[in-house]
Amino acid sequence: MRFLPLLATLAMTVPAWAQDLDTMPAADLLPLAQAEGTVTVYAFTSRIGRVEAAFEAAYPGIDMVSFDMSSTEQIARIKSEAGAGIAGADVVYISDAPVVLTELFAEGLVAQYVPPRVAELVPEALQSPLLAQRLSTKVLMYNEETYPDGAPVDNLWDLTKPEWAGKVIMVDPLQRGDYLDLMTEIVLRKDEMAAAYQTEFGEALPEGEDAGKRFIADLFANDLVLVGSTDDVNAAIGAKGQEAAPIGFTSYSDRRDNEDEGWALQVANEVAPANGIVFPALLAVNPKAANPAAARLAIDFMMGDDTETGGDGFKPFYVAGDWATRTDIAPHPDAIPLDDFNGWTIDAAETAKIRAEVADLILTLQ
Amino acid sequence: MFALPRGFGLTFGVLAILAVLVAAPLTTIVIDTLGSAAWREVLASNLSRNLTWLPLKNTMILGLATAVGSVLIGGFLAWLVVMTDVPFRRTLGVLATLPFMIPSFATALAWGSLFRNSRAGGSVGMLEGWGMSVPDWLAWGMVPTAFVLISQYFALAFTVVAASLASLNGDVVEAGQMAGASRRRIVFGIVLPMVTPALLAGGSLAFAAGVSNFAAPALLGLPVRMQTLSTRLFGMVEIGQTERGYILAMLLIVVSAVFLGAGNRLLAGRRSFATIGGKGARAKRMALGGARGPLCALALGLCFVTTVLPIILLVAASLAPQGSALFSNWTLHFWIGASDPGFARGQAGIFRNPQLMTALWMTLALGVGVAVVSVLIGLLAAVVLNGKRIPVLTEAVSQLAFLPMLLPGIAFGAAYIALYGAPIGPFPALYGTPWLLALALVAATLPFAVQTGRATVAQISGDVDEAARMTGAGFVRRLFAITLPLASKGMIAGALLAFVNVIGDLAIVVLLYTPQVPVLSVLSYRYASDGFHQFANAVTLLILLISVLATVLANALKGRGK
Repeated sequence: MRFLPLLATLAMTVPAWAQDLDTMPAADLLPLAQAEGTVTVYAFTSRIGRVEAAFEAAYPGIDMVSFDMSSTEQIARIKSEAGAGIAGADVVYISDAPVVLTELFAEGLVAQYVPPRVAELVPEALQSPLLAQRLSTKVLMYNEETYPDGAPVDNLWDLTKPEWAGKVIMVDPLQRGDYLDLMTEIVLRKDEMAAAYQTEFGEALPEGEDAGKRFIADLFANDLVLVGSTDDVNAAIGAKGQEAAPIGFTSYSDRRDNEDEGWALQVANEVAPANGIVFPALLAVNPKAANPAAARLAIDFMMGDDTETGGDGFKPFYVAGDWATRTDIAPHPDAIPLDDFNGWTIDAAETAKIRAEVADLILTLQ
Repeated sequence: MFALPRGFGLTFGVLAILAVLVAAPLTTIVIDTLGSAAWREVLASNLSRNLTWLPLKNTMILGLATAVGSVLIGGFLAWLVVMTDVPFRRTLGVLATLPFMIPSFATALAWGSLFRNSRAGGSVGMLEGWGMSVPDWLAWGMVPTAFVLISQYFALAFTVVAASLASLNGDVVEAGQMAGASRRRIVFGIVLPMVTPALLAGGSLAFAAGVSNFAAPALLGLPVRMQTLSTRLFGMVEIGQTERGYILAMLLIVVSAVFLGAGNRLLAGRRSFATIGGKGARAKRMALGGARGPLCALALGLCFVTTVLPIILLVAASLAPQGSALFSNWTLHFWIGASDPGFARGQAGIFRNPQLMTALWMTLALGVGVAVVSVLIGLLAAVVLNGKRIPVLTEAVSQLAFLPMLLPGIAFGAAYIALYGAPIGPFPALYGTPWLLALALVAATLPFAVQTGRATVAQISGDVDEAARMTGAGFVRRLFAITLPLASKGMIAGALLAFVNVIGDLAIVVLLYTPQVPVLSVLSYRYASDGFHQFANAVTLLILLISVLATVLANALKGRGK
């Protein structure tokens, strides 16, 4: 944390008006943002296109320029831009919290901004150190056409049994950060994994055995099938007309594409000890933003308005499988409410600590 | 006073250019890993087996298979098209250059649509659909990956060998015919030895392209956990273990350099490959007689499987709303449709995307600019390499010019950002400008330019140049009056390879491009990564179309040069 003193010095030298921007209501930000005239957003989802249209309709005269790129790419880009002394983005909309917090936030490349009007509406843990706009998932999903009576497994340890050999599918955790976070969480929750082992097999694991690591080892030994992208997983699990569809880990909200793609994806929620991970989609400002007022106005907009579904700013994210962090936005009627959802919410700081170690474990198993 | 050897200035100049384009970025990543603990992890720890040695073994097998297969198929087709009276020569010539323009993920997907079995779930391929059982080794892993790589990169060998055959002096063949040599004797005794440099050049290009390819092993190898150095490298960069990634990249370079060094030694064993004399006629086409039909059928069959089939599948995939039913409910929505909230998640067709036109022009400008610059540098390097050898310097030019080929694009991009992303002294950071892309792409396409340039220049007889030198013509004069015109065919081939490579490249530009500088391949990748596969396929087809037009144009130029 050798950067902290530096950061503190920087914070003290930031002009007073920048701190004012953080406390201004949207109405006061608007004229400043209009004077800036434009705001650049890096986002990890294509849904940003619809946010752009809605934002420009709500605030004529401010041009939102949005770029859709993966979190990994954003991280590489933000670092490069900082190195080149360029302020590329004003707003960063990103997942991959373990890396964002330890590498971008800690080094002052992104900064926290919480619109004053939502400060009371978002739980403290979800607005600090960076504001989360919604929660997303990597969880166990199955094919509801093949298994009309519900999920074919009720315990993660089921996946290590012979009947699921070669039938469990996921993205290579050494190629996608989200999946490595999932594996890391399983190791962090080793006590719960040990209890679930006892439930499943009726006996305890040998003394001193790490249940999380043991699970990962058994899963790989059970001929786990790895693919390159979440869409490959979705197609593999979800495709209709399969007699014995595989099961695997993907995003709950991808169920929204079932109709478009001809899939039958459904989430397995009744799984011990959990069905996967829930992680935040973060909204942050660039501390060196070229358009600081418009950046804050854009974040204010994306946090949704005061209607029950968050209005136009939040509309693209009001889908089953994504949960708003604002407690006053009603849960999506077609989705399992977050409180009833059986996923582990990741702890970015804890994940960051052992993520590399888990990656090495997986490397030796492949 | 100490006299510099002849050609020192030129050699030094070329070396300086290569230092800026290739050596400097690579040195940056070497320095980044100096003293890193990652060295031990990669080379000597309990991780090494899976991290390094197994992927290395797979990489070597794939590289060798690609080289051998590509030279066999590409050489065979080039011989048929250039030297014989086989029917449909023109068509075959165009078809044989196409595979290089089809992204390898498209060929890999095409393989899947035929042979895919139920291992990775989802819908199975046509064969299993017909009730046949496809074993894992045919559906996934080494065999299909090698097939996809060969079916893509034989086009490299074809282009290089065909250019070389086309500029072959007809006199020698005729002399053989007059002396009563059999057809077989002429092919194996005269033609083959003369095109050896081109075969080796084509083979090395295919080898290097094969070992650094990412898409094919990623799509076909992963389900059976077959890793290559490039998939490992990508994964390491992706999860933040960049140092390990860099070391793997360096390992890849070393291994390939050893292999290519051996190839160069073979080439150096022969004294001279000069086959373009000052005069000489084009060879008469060889009459195939009764073998005409079967050979033609074989060639067309090869082209159909490697070229036509993937294109058909790509077209279908840009029109069908569902990936699982490629030939039903076709619509043009993905190309020209207006946004409809109830269809394709509200995404409008590609021609309604305002970024498309900007990306189109940017891509074309980059493609043409990079191809021209790269071929010129390549020609200069080729002249250096075929001239009088200067100890150390000539060898350095040879190695540096080929290095970019061995670097997986993503590592190359990372190295470029590491060096040119930030301001250097008085020079501003190139990040955020098209220049960074242009610079990296010139470097990345140099191997094509140098190899094709070399194969052509090696054939230009020194007599002509020597004669001009005696009359007092300077280097520049000789370059423009003799080397350029005589090498023009090979250079057009080289420029075409570079152009096609640039406009289809994703691996390098994906890290270097900035939103202000959009290019088509990134646009396609964006669509694909958001699950908009039809849109991605449509943009890919657009890239393919530009490549085909460029090929037709290049062929027309070559034809006029006759």
